[in-house]
Amino acid sequence: MSTVNLSSALKALKRSVWVFHLNSGSCNGCDIEVLDALTPYFDVERFGIKLVASPRHADVVLFTGPITRETLPKVIRALRAMPRPRMVLAIGSCAVGGGIWHDSYSVIGGYPKLEEILKKEGVVIDKVVFVPGCPARPEAIIYGVLVLLGVVEPKSKREVYKVE
Amino acid sequence: MSEEEGNSGQVVKGSEEAIFLVENLLRKKLSELPVKIYRAAGDSIVVEVPRRYLRDAANAVHNDLDAYVRTCAGCDEREIRGIYAVYHILGLDNYGVNVIIKVAVPENDAKVPTIADIAPGADWCELEFRDLVGIDLTGRPTHRLVLPDDWPDGLHPLRRDVPYGVRPPPVKREEVSLIEIERPGIPVGPYHPALHEPEYFELYVEGETVIDVRYRGFHVHRGIEKLAESKLTYKQIPFIAERICGICGFCHSTCYVMAVEKAAGIEVPERADYIRAIVLEIERIHSHLLWLGVACHILGYDAGFMHTWRIREKIMALAEYLTGSRKTYGINIIGGVRKDINKEKVPKVLEVLDFVEKETKNLADVLLSVPEVKRRLTGTGKLYREEARKLSVVGPVARASGLYRDVRKDYPYLAYKHVSFKVPLYTEGDNLARTLVRVEELFESISIIRQLLDTMPGGDIRVEEYEIESGRVSVASVEAPRGEDVHFLITGEGRPYRWRVRAPTYQNIPALRAMLRDQQLADAPITIASIDPCFSCTDRLVIVEVSGGKVRRVRRINVVKVAGGKVW
Amino acid sequence: MVKKLRFVKLISVARKARTVTRKYPFEGPLITEEFRGEVRLDPKKCIGCGACIIICPPNALTLHDEGDVRVIRYFVGRCIFCGMCAEVCPTNAITITKEFELATLATEQLLRDLVHERVKCRICGKPFLPAKLLKAANDDIPGSDNYIDVCPECRAKLGLKGILEHRMG
Repeated sequence: MSTVNLSSALKALKRSVWVFHLNSGSCNGCDIEVLDALTPYFDVERFGIKLVASPRHADVVLFTGPITRETLPKVIRALRAMPRPRMVLAIGSCAVGGGIWHDSYSVIGGYPKLEEILKKEGVVIDKVVFVPGCPARPEAIIYGVLVLLGVVEPKSKREVYKVE
Repeated sequence: MSEEEGNSGQVVKGSEEAIFLVENLLRKKLSELPVKIYRAAGDSIVVEVPRRYLRDAANAVHNDLDAYVRTCAGCDEREIRGIYAVYHILGLDNYGVNVIIKVAVPENDAKVPTIADIAPGADWCELEFRDLVGIDLTGRPTHRLVLPDDWPDGLHPLRRDVPYGVRPPPVKREEVSLIEIERPGIPVGPYHPALHEPEYFELYVEGETVIDVRYRGFHVHRGIEKLAESKLTYKQIPFIAERICGICGFCHSTCYVMAVEKAAGIEVPERADYIRAIVLEIERIHSHLLWLGVACHILGYDAGFMHTWRIREKIMALAEYLTGSRKTYGINIIGGVRKDINKEKVPKVLEVLDFVEKETKNLADVLLSVPEVKRRLTGTGKLYREEARKLSVVGPVARASGLYRDVRKDYPYLAYKHVSFKVPLYTEGDNLARTLVRVEELFESISIIRQLLDTMPGGDIRVEEYEIESGRVSVASVEAPRGEDVHFLITGEGRPYRWRVRAPTYQNIPALRAMLRDQQLADAPITIASIDPCFSCTDRLVIVEVSGGKVRRVRRINVVKVAGGKVW
Repeated sequence: MVKKLRFVKLISVARKARTVTRKYPFEGPLITEEFRGEVRLDPKKCIGCGACIIICPPNALTLHDEGDVRVIRYFVGRCIFCGMCAEVCPTNAITITKEFELATLATEQLLRDLVHERVKCRICGKPFLPAKLLKAANDDIPGSDNYIDVCPECRAKLGLKGILEHRMG
């Protein structure tokens, strides 16, 4: 159906991605760190990254929050409004794993649970990067953007240790 | 001023003498009603009154004794006494004493009369316990406040027999937006460039003037109280309390541990009190600088935004140096704190404070002299004193409208009794007054931290052994950057039996309708921002504003009718 | 006229502040020595007691008893970096590092497992607890050598048998 070639799209985007900030019910800790990344000490605008007003203009969605039941339909609508290729940066422990309230009645449980719902709704997300942290430091968010653009290889790997 | 209130000037707030005086006042005022009056833990007095006399008791305490509404909570006590209980918590600022009006509601007739016309500040918390515990309200129009729209009726999460992880299938309801039906309006949200949190406003306009506001909040409701009452233990809750809000989280975690320590009678070492007060003031500085930047951004002055956040970055680094994390510090535990501010760290703190003070003085001077900032802030979003009093607003919003309310002075806690500081008070009630209050508070905070560092005693920072008995009731409050934060706690086995959090923005949002009255559309964003809304604190419960008057049966949204001075 | 232009002082404020940008990732991050990053579980010291699992508020540390092993799983994605696990560990097996560059493409890469072999019950053969935990418990409570390699159900049966034998003579 769609003729998106992800790798060529990513090549074009290596310079300046436009981001949209989507808060799906977070405590605002990660959100103020996202805003902090724009301020002089971290200054992501030197990478050409800028905050846009609508998901229709966005290349990457900065996703925070564990997705509450009330925001679920609105989040799906906002993500559907993005043009392809859709890329999501899930920021913070709430978005990556559901956070401290991952099994509450009012919370869906983070981006991994949302992915299954999005598949059913027919919204395809082309690339996702998960950035843990509570709240995620501005430097960690910048690192996450670099992983998303393919500039850096992610450091964290699955580890299994046997105790003797 | 009556004779009794005249006495309050001499008594030390929150002392045994004050509590004794209040108890006598209550016995005298409520002598006609069949009430039971007794002490709860700390500075609280419980007044148990039968259901049919609730309105009389509330009228006597709120109007005759000049008490402010702090919060109210519903509790499912069926497993203890076979009843539901409703607690209305009112505060007597002049004495520093809390009055808890407790009403027993039978299980088979779960209804309670409303007090929202006597004490408009209780409007939202009544709707909250109606949603979460299922106690119905008589005598007022009701609507869903907190729970999501697709939640089924009849399932009340805070009841003890409902599991915390219940996931009922969604229920479809019709969405009626008055914009298509009745009048021209502008939907703002839930995702909008001016908003950092999901919230939904519909502004109804006539030309450029806003005549109505509809607000649908509670997108950030996460079920925190239910988790604390069924899954987490006493030791884990300070961490979830800190994440109620990412900006004023430390206030919530301090308030919770203070409530537990009050209820259980745990004596915290004095050094821990000082450390908590220092970190609270650091949080206040960071929050006010954040607000100043966001306000400049909303007014279109981005240079101000960048400079205030540049200064704020030093505070964030200082917080990390003292506590281990830029935000969500995680140093509060029951019985004290986990990290010390030892002698080596003090010079760094003083250096950062000097920097912030000098830079903020220069910057505030410049910001408030920018013509567009000054003109847009002056005279807009006026909130008059009588309305502010009726709605029991808190924090800088109250202090800018002539109400001298500050929890650090009225219900003294931690180490604030040992320092001297000024509380700024303005009477104009417009956006500029709220800005000036916050700027002055920032400088007062710097002075408070310096005094605390000077006089900090030595000793331990935590108590290791303690016991928490069940069934104790306590109320604790803290002056967060946005206002008064109140936690109500009933202890249980291993975890609280009932934990009610009332964040400051909860109490301030109803004042928005009065403030947006007859304002220009362009002033609406800065007016909404001037109460420093923190919807994530608010929404751990959902608040929905409802207005009376002619209302079509719409499900999702509450129309806030603003009509010349009338609050209801 | 001069008073009206007071806001132009912003230029001097900006000039005094100069450039404060920290050009991460080409320069180092702004981290202080107290920073709490990812935690590390030491396989040499861990005894598999589960104290960290009880205290962890978001359940980032979970315990899985399956087959012959006990797995202690650390999911970095849900961690809130509070450091309480390091505080309660009885053998100081948990250390707090300063790692924050944790972004990954899949949540599986954020799992760290510690696998303990469980001792099999001498009588019924069912695996029940890790060897190191049994040894640590035994060191604290001397005199339980008869029961140290017996699972709780068989231990109860043995104890009852001992009482009955003692009563009957």
